[in-house]
Amino acid sequence: MIEMKNVTKYYGNFCALGGISFSVADGEVLGLLGPNGAGKTTAMRILTCFLPATSGVATVAGYDIFEDSMEVRRRLGYLPETPPLYPEMTVKSYLNFIAEIKEVPSSKRRARLDEVILRTGIGDHIKRIIGTLSKGYRQRLGLAQALIHNPEVLILDEPTVGLDPNQIIEIRGLIKNLAADHTIILSTHILSEVSMTCKRVVIINEGHIVAEDSVENLEKQGKATTSYKVGLKPAGLDWKSSFESIPGVSIANVEEFGNRVDFMMRLPDESAYDKVFSSVVGKGHIFTEISPARASLEEVFLRLTKSEESQPIERSKTS
Amino acid sequence: MKVLAIVKKELQTYFFSPVAYIIFAAFSLVIGFLFWLILMSTHLASMKETLFNCAFVLLLASPVLTMRLISEEKRSNTMELLLTSPISAAEIIIGKFLACFFVYLLLMGVTLQYALILSSYCPTLDWGPITSGYIGLILLGASFISFGLFASTVTENQMIAAMISFGGLLTFWLIGWSKHALENTMGEFFSKLSLLERYWEFPNGMVDSGNIIFFVTFSLIWLFLATRVLESDRWR
Repeated sequence: MIEMKNVTKYYGNFCALGGISFSVADGEVLGLLGPNGAGKTTAMRILTCFLPATSGVATVAGYDIFEDSMEVRRRLGYLPETPPLYPEMTVKSYLNFIAEIKEVPSSKRRARLDEVILRTGIGDHIKRIIGTLSKGYRQRLGLAQALIHNPEVLILDEPTVGLDPNQIIEIRGLIKNLAADHTIILSTHILSEVSMTCKRVVIINEGHIVAEDSVENLEKQGKATTSYKVGLKPAGLDWKSSFESIPGVSIANVEEFGNRVDFMMRLPDESAYDKVFSSVVGKGHIFTEISPARASLEEVFLRLTKSEESQPIERSKTS
Repeated sequence: MKVLAIVKKELQTYFFSPVAYIIFAAFSLVIGFLFWLILMSTHLASMKETLFNCAFVLLLASPVLTMRLISEEKRSNTMELLLTSPISAAEIIIGKFLACFFVYLLLMGVTLQYALILSSYCPTLDWGPITSGYIGLILLGASFISFGLFASTVTENQMIAAMISFGGLLTFWLIGWSKHALENTMGEFFSKLSLLERYWEFPNGMVDSGNIIFFVTFSLIWLFLATRVLESDRWR
């Protein structure tokens, strides 16, 4: 359904995208993940025909984004990072306007309007002036706008940014609901969002793809190294050595609170746990806390997007 | 019709916000005062002087009408919506032009009341020059609006758009005066480019096809350039 091949984008000398290739199958939900400024929005703007790529090819539903941009735009619903709203219009007149410029035939306009209003849950506010709507409702209206012409493809740029937790849950539910009959690309820098809504993830950093895999596989990758959050009352100043003397064990993020230290401990495998425990207790240190850290996407993400480690392109692609 | 959708949306924007009402009020005040002043000092049943002054007041008002047309869409990210919708840059520009031109015609229409007042006191009022004067104002309006619309495409700041269109229009208005200083073909050339020189024959009752062609071409050129600038935003 969506295909990007070696797409690059330069702003002057600045390279925003350095050759990105990925594809999204019909009906799939792809998460585009990356820190702020990684190039997620640029990639989406190129796909939506808002920005030209410097080089490379991209197609949506078989149409080239440059050659057949009108056909692509007919099949695309796009929610930019800030919902594109006219504050002085009412919700209803706004949706009517969008339906007209998105070529919804006038005979179907009523039905489409009713459907998106129902789906996004803005029924109680259709007569209000957009400028008076809350952030959550603006976001929903932005989604309604993207859905109105019943596009095959939805491109959502950080759909939950700036919402409160309740609204985030609602919008995620809505996206899941939409996934049933749409192909969706969703960008975010919130990891839990990806694991909740997407099946496959592309991680972008500094304009390059650093990983592309299913959510489960990436999470497995995160568990390959076992991490614990540890609280310790050290018996001496050289407490670190009693951990690091065991091969493969490393500690990071040390924080001191009076006579107590908190840190992250990473073990090469489960079997090292006993060795560490007995060695540390043997030296007279007292554990106040040991809990398995959320071995998850977060870890993979941090590992892949730390600048010193971003160069070797890691691609674990499973069927 | 996607052009009509744009027209409708723009008219809503004008009349849902205070902008249009303030312009109408200010314009009515100024034109009413000028009409009274001219009538009291000349005691003539003629619209000529009023229409001259009306053209200049409209030149001052037009940049306010046009300044936000495109720049506001750029600033508030709604351009991203328009340019990712199946609508061409030309349709956007034409829709915006028509909506703004319609508001201009309403504004200009305010002055018709003075012609009616004159004719109620003077049944022999000569409608010929008044009609040609209004034809001139309509053509002039198309030129003002299309230049202002162009100015609005080059920036996302409304004030800058207004200053560009005000400065540009005033230059095209005054440039004809250079013929008195230059007295050569250059001066002739400048006076042919001047909106004022082209316009002044209309309220005197002269409808010259050359002048009509000039105003239409002037408008089309700026509309064309506005379309190109908008397109270039997409492919830059």
